[in-house]
Amino acid sequence: MATIPAQPTDLPASQTRARIAVETTAAIPWYIWCATIAITSATIGAYWDISWHSSIGRDTFWTPAHMAIQLCGVLAGIAFGYLILHTSFSKNSPLAASSVHIFGFRAPLGAFIASWGGIAMLTSAPFDNWWHDAYGIDVKIVSPPHMLLIMGEYAVVIGTLVLLAGHMNRSAVQSRTSERRLVLYINGIMLVQVMILLMESTERVFLHSAGAYIGAAALPPLVLALSWRLTRYRFAATFVALFYTLFRIGLILILPLFPAQPKLGPVYHQVTHFIPPDFPLLLIVPAFLLDLLWQRTESWNRWKIATVSSIIWTSVLIAVEWPFASFLMSPASNNWFFGTGYLYFALPPKSFLARHAFYPTGTPLEFSLAILGAILVGTLTFRWGISRGEWLGKIKR
Amino acid sequence: MNLFRLGVPLFLFTVLAQAHVGSPDIFLEGKAGPYQLFVTVRPPLTIPGVAEIEVRSESPGVRSISAVPLAITGAGSKFAPIPDALKVSSNDPQFFTGALWMMTSGSWQARLSIDGAQGPATFAVPVPSVARAAKHMQGGLGLVLFSVGIFLVSGLIAIVGAAAREAKLDAGQAPLADNLRTGRKAILVGGVIVVGVVVGGNMWWNSEASAYDTRIYKPLRMAASLHGTNLGLKITEPGWMQATTLNQAAYRIFTRKIDDLVADHGHIMHLYMIRQPGLDVIYHLHPEQQDAGLFALPLPSTVAGHYKLFADIVHADGFPETMTAEIDLPALSSRPLSGDDASGSGQPATNNIFTLSDGYKMEWLHDDKPIHAGQPMAFNFRLSQPDGTPPSDMSLYMGMLGHAAFVATDGSVFAHIHPNGSVSMAALMLAEGMPADMNMQETSRAVPNVVSFPYAFPSPVQYRIFVQMKHGKMVETGIFGVVCLPSEKR
Repeated sequence: MATIPAQPTDLPASQTRARIAVETTAAIPWYIWCATIAITSATIGAYWDISWHSSIGRDTFWTPAHMAIQLCGVLAGIAFGYLILHTSFSKNSPLAASSVHIFGFRAPLGAFIASWGGIAMLTSAPFDNWWHDAYGIDVKIVSPPHMLLIMGEYAVVIGTLVLLAGHMNRSAVQSRTSERRLVLYINGIMLVQVMILLMESTERVFLHSAGAYIGAAALPPLVLALSWRLTRYRFAATFVALFYTLFRIGLILILPLFPAQPKLGPVYHQVTHFIPPDFPLLLIVPAFLLDLLWQRTESWNRWKIATVSSIIWTSVLIAVEWPFASFLMSPASNNWFFGTGYLYFALPPKSFLARHAFYPTGTPLEFSLAILGAILVGTLTFRWGISRGEWLGKIKR
Repeated sequence: MNLFRLGVPLFLFTVLAQAHVGSPDIFLEGKAGPYQLFVTVRPPLTIPGVAEIEVRSESPGVRSISAVPLAITGAGSKFAPIPDALKVSSNDPQFFTGALWMMTSGSWQARLSIDGAQGPATFAVPVPSVARAAKHMQGGLGLVLFSVGIFLVSGLIAIVGAAAREAKLDAGQAPLADNLRTGRKAILVGGVIVVGVVVGGNMWWNSEASAYDTRIYKPLRMAASLHGTNLGLKITEPGWMQATTLNQAAYRIFTRKIDDLVADHGHIMHLYMIRQPGLDVIYHLHPEQQDAGLFALPLPSTVAGHYKLFADIVHADGFPETMTAEIDLPALSSRPLSGDDASGSGQPATNNIFTLSDGYKMEWLHDDKPIHAGQPMAFNFRLSQPDGTPPSDMSLYMGMLGHAAFVATDGSVFAHIHPNGSVSMAALMLAEGMPADMNMQETSRAVPNVVSFPYAFPSPVQYRIFVQMKHGKMVETGIFGVVCLPSEKR
């Protein structure tokens, strides 16, 4: 466990003060940019990989999509490995005084979190390989080794955010636009990544059943509330949701431009180009309303904010997504923009998606109870997001 | 990380393979247009998984071969993925190897496209695809992953502690007693949460492993009973590849039924009854289906004893299965053998020559070289009259020069092999776009008195080979013994 030195550094106080001063006036450091590129690469790689599996099917470790994901680990390893080693062992590190101590090393907290993520990502590779040997080549996103990989990716994102928050909080640049934009960008990336976990459960066939809305209440609110509370930007949630919306629409517009053919059977649907994911959920609508709400809640206690936010989030999302899902299931949405004609090559012909049929909604009582559950879940995640955002707003290391 | 699955030596839970017992490899010899090919497919243990395919052209001039997996029937047979070019051997230009990615259980084929000096051709090899095993983690890898897992768990708890203890301190400020206390609390709470996540992950892993276990192939169950001189066979579903939920019904591509059986070279069931433990009496019979899952047969006169039953059937999509059962039979004096029924008895041949009850002889044309497991070879047999000359009235037995059963004396292997290989004829017909039950036309050409069966023993144990050839109305059954040695390579 961590070893706490009697003094924060073994450097003379004058040197420490000088380094703190240097840091407070510094621009966004190189390792944060490096980490930002890393998480961007992993996010693009993850969606590319999913599209690869939907269009080509067969892969190796060396596909471009996998390389983009692994680049995250490499860049994070270089950036944070260097940061930890340099801060721990260099006598001139400007971050020595702004470090936490873990296992005898010292570095900013975010570096440790992101390094943990990199190690988790690396560990997932042999684990996933063994998983394929034992239980067959997996054809789904949510499996134990994939979860380890995803947790690793999230840790790199969170580590980057923590690093940036620490940088902002200990400097005089808290209100600087570039830092705030970068925080919103990282939160956007986080939401885009979080929605990977919900891709299967929020497929359009599930949008007339409660499960999709429980999922939508379980993860995105955390990111949106955190963004708002950390940046205090009036339209933080809207920006983050807009980023997700544009990213996913961009995939629908871009991926089908590139040729791809299945290399695995069974092939139930002819595929000639890369298959994009579903049209994004209309998170932007409740996100915008939340921004309007949050501008008026300065005097509210956090549980009240979380509860009202959750009610708005789930009810507005159902109100807009329900009819929109009906549209997505209609032939009118089978075009280049909404992209509902793109089907995974091995999608079974009897599946709900291939038949353009909604998964059963359940009885009104079952649905209502499940939606109440979604609101409860959303309350907890909004509350947690608020507290994490506030915590990030205070960290200095 | 599943703590209970780590550090366990490699251990395979193998199950009986479908379409034969304990003999999953597929051998097929046949004509692809002008080219004579011999194809071996070694299916993977797990599904999805990668099968190995080997093709030897016995005709010269083959330049390239590509292979693609394709469902034999149904929606999956309509569109093919991009075929894979097989790699030509550097030592033998007529030997090609490659891989087939088998993604779902069911009745599949390897569709080969051949190009050569005599033009293009295609060839279909039925490949039943089932998961046969669950593999546990090797000790070394388990230890490494376990160690990293411990590091990740302890690292995460340490990060949580450091975050609570120091993250909010101003630069250069040492943690105070309050900070240290907060850090310790965070380590405690974080530790409980992280350990909870690990336990939850372990439960998830177990649940995934259990779900996989349900996909491991289980043959249809068969129970045999005797009513007077009538043999009754009842087939039941043990719960493999059944759709029990709405989602499974929508997404499961392959489900097994017991009411969809099709005739395979003239019969809906081919039943071998082999007396135990000596494997010295064999009956090859053809029970009739009375109803879905119910078969019956008036037994011919039988020798008393304990019998193992191996029943071959084929489903409508070409998926073949071998069901097993056991029964004790008294000595029965009933009807004589009729139709395609056949029987044989005796000790295995000595010096590769088995003398039949009517004085005819069946010889295994084998040079007594050792035979190793996994070594594909042609097993050639010749039927002669008592004076050693070829019978003048050789005829086809159920449309073929002969039938053979390769049976391990320990009961671990049973394979019903035809002159063209190990595949079900019904599956082969379906894969070639024809009705499952091939039309058994008697040939007008002279039937040779030599038959060849391509096969490789799957494991190094003792075997009996029961070979059946027909002359006139008489089906002769020769019995041969062989000891298979361990595999030389693989």
